[in-house]
Amino acid sequence: MNKLKLFISQRSPAIVVSRFVTTKKKIHDPNEEEQLPIFQYPVSKSSDRRVYVWGLAETGALGIHMPRYKKSGKKAYKNNFNLVWHPMRSSFCERFDVLKIACGYGFTVAAVKTTEQHKVFGTGINTDSQIGYHAPRIGHPLEMLLSPAPIYIPYTSLETKITGLAAGRAHTLIQTDNEGVYSVGNNAYGQCGRKINPNEEYRGSMASHNIKSLGKEKIIDVCCGQDHSLFITEGGRVYACGWGADGQTGLGTYNNQGHPALVKGDVTSENIVKVASTADCVLALNDKGELFGWGNSEYGQVPMSNNQQQVNMSYALVNFTKGLGKIVDVAAGGSFCLICNEQGDVFVWGFGLLGLGPNVQHSTRPKQIPAPLFGRNEFNPDSMITKVACGIGHLAAITDKGDLYMWGRNRHGCLGLGHDKDQHFPLKISIGAHVLSVHCSVDHTVAMCKPFT
Amino acid sequence: MVQIRNAAAAYRSLNGLICVYKPSCVSVRHVQHIIVTNLCRDLNALPDRPLEKRVEIVGPTNAPMQVKLLPNYADDPRVCGPRYIDKDFRCSWASHLGLFSSGVLLLGINDGTNLTYLLNTARPTRAFKVHGQLGKATDTYFWNGRTMERATFGHVTRAKVDRVVAHMQAAHQKTMYELSGLHMDSQTTYDLASEGLLRPANSKLPVIYGIKCVHFEPPNFTLEIQSVNEYEKYLWSLVHDLGVQLKTVAHCTGVQCIRLGKFGLDLSLLRKHWQMEHILHNMDQCQQIIEQNENLIKPKSAHLTV
Repeated sequence: MNKLKLFISQRSPAIVVSRFVTTKKKIHDPNEEEQLPIFQYPVSKSSDRRVYVWGLAETGALGIHMPRYKKSGKKAYKNNFNLVWHPMRSSFCERFDVLKIACGYGFTVAAVKTTEQHKVFGTGINTDSQIGYHAPRIGHPLEMLLSPAPIYIPYTSLETKITGLAAGRAHTLIQTDNEGVYSVGNNAYGQCGRKINPNEEYRGSMASHNIKSLGKEKIIDVCCGQDHSLFITEGGRVYACGWGADGQTGLGTYNNQGHPALVKGDVTSENIVKVASTADCVLALNDKGELFGWGNSEYGQVPMSNNQQQVNMSYALVNFTKGLGKIVDVAAGGSFCLICNEQGDVFVWGFGLLGLGPNVQHSTRPKQIPAPLFGRNEFNPDSMITKVACGIGHLAAITDKGDLYMWGRNRHGCLGLGHDKDQHFPLKISIGAHVLSVHCSVDHTVAMCKPFT
Repeated sequence: MVQIRNAAAAYRSLNGLICVYKPSCVSVRHVQHIIVTNLCRDLNALPDRPLEKRVEIVGPTNAPMQVKLLPNYADDPRVCGPRYIDKDFRCSWASHLGLFSSGVLLLGINDGTNLTYLLNTARPTRAFKVHGQLGKATDTYFWNGRTMERATFGHVTRAKVDRVVAHMQAAHQKTMYELSGLHMDSQTTYDLASEGLLRPANSKLPVIYGIKCVHFEPPNFTLEIQSVNEYEKYLWSLVHDLGVQLKTVAHCTGVQCIRLGKFGLDLSLLRKHWQMEHILHNMDQCQQIIEQNENLIKPKSAHLTV
């Protein structure tokens, strides 16, 4: 028995393990490097632009239309394409050289660089023909476009260039270099700058209106509020038309205005360079960096001594903004105003999520949003904000380094933070490019960017 | 400098933090080993205490006995070995540096190990000089890896590098708030955030507070990076990412830590000075810095120190 045990114990180590795997490190050929090809990656031109979009995609305003895949599985995001949580590159803007972009309420218009007939494209809600007439069958116009389609405008020359775009709740203004301004869409309040016809049908309308010049001066900038339009001429004069119930036309009345008329009050003698309006409050900036305002003042956006809530004439806000220095950019939201000065500081007043923390809901004086929130710290002491923009409830600011910061009401994920929780202070938005301008709407945001290299 | 009289007194004073310059290709463990062995060597060379005597009581027990003092061989270093050996020293690092990194390294000796623990949990920023080269990508992102790709880099300019680098820095702002462990909707978060930068609450993810291109001479460039929780591989991958963003490829050629909290390069001991007298002097200097900056060890708020 013992002999047998011994025999087994002697046998067992004799099982040969064959090794197919070598543990020796493979030594690569040192000349391998010389044989590698040298790649040349394409470098973008300085005129190249990238456009990022985010927010509500259900209306088609983002122009990102995904074909439907299987109902379940890995491509679930594509199946349920209601919201874009993070900035996403627009493929339309890769195919065309986009010059200008404007965001309306649930629609987006973009002007492309071309010498052909179709210079402006639109996508999104089209209930009032604000992005033109599109009918696959005669008599059945589309009320919603999921991908960009050209807007027909009867230009007199194909060489005409688009120099400005603006979009309101349901109308679009297209500013050209030498043909004046074309307007399409809803004219129920006269926001298209033509006579108000109460019986006009806007759905499936093919009408467009041309405003050649105002007061014999060329129009150099356009701006749309909710249902009113503002025009700046070469001489720095401001004209307005459209809805005036809150005094947002600044014409001294509360009536609707069909033809653009000169805004009354303090701006008449000034050289205005910029006007800003998203809903029913208007801010204007002159060449000296002084602020003017009119329109709705329910939340103290345009503070008056007699607590008037509808300001129907422009008033200078020089005393109100005393000590803030020269103002560089202005933006007016639904219930608040946002400005930035020469030093790159941002000031806000009004009501809402102002970016002054969760405890501050209302501010009657311009309050500075602390600069460290915009990335000014000991490692980056010279960071400054150069541009601001407002949606109805959300705010945005762009630094001189091309970083975008956003805060406010996060309706339908329009802040692009990856969730739909409200943001109480500015937060950097992850965009992989140098942001040049940002356009906010009610529920979606579009950023025009420049690639890094 | 204190005059060292004997080994026992010197050993007692060797408690605290020292700041050394770690060369590259020498691991932190090896640095610790060298320093501890050097200390042992220097201590053993100092005048020793007198040898203990062996007491021998001899003679018949019923008569007055004789007490003799004889040399005790058990206490003789020639028999029992040197007085001070490696095991007599505890040594720990405040923050780790990878094998191929060089620069400021803080080591705690004996009671100084507590300080390194506190320093580590206070998470001071570290500044790095990261050297990179354009045109070549390697599998490890470091120069010693195998070349994977080559690309042209003629289009890269200083302005482009600055732009990408500024963007990379700003992109870390969100990470900073997430890692600070604060609730985004609270007033406290707002108050803290509006005053400046926040420290991360844990050591899990790297946070970059500042990147700057300090030297650019294609294909070589140098970045100065201020960060918390970073590690060697992360800095290498940062250079690689920069290359990709610049529409070319890049690899890292060297990493040097130039500052840890308030401890700079001028304080750090070079390898040739890893001797006891220099170490004792350095320990005094480090102690002074810690006493001057209480925030370094026990930060009172979530703000970033230095």
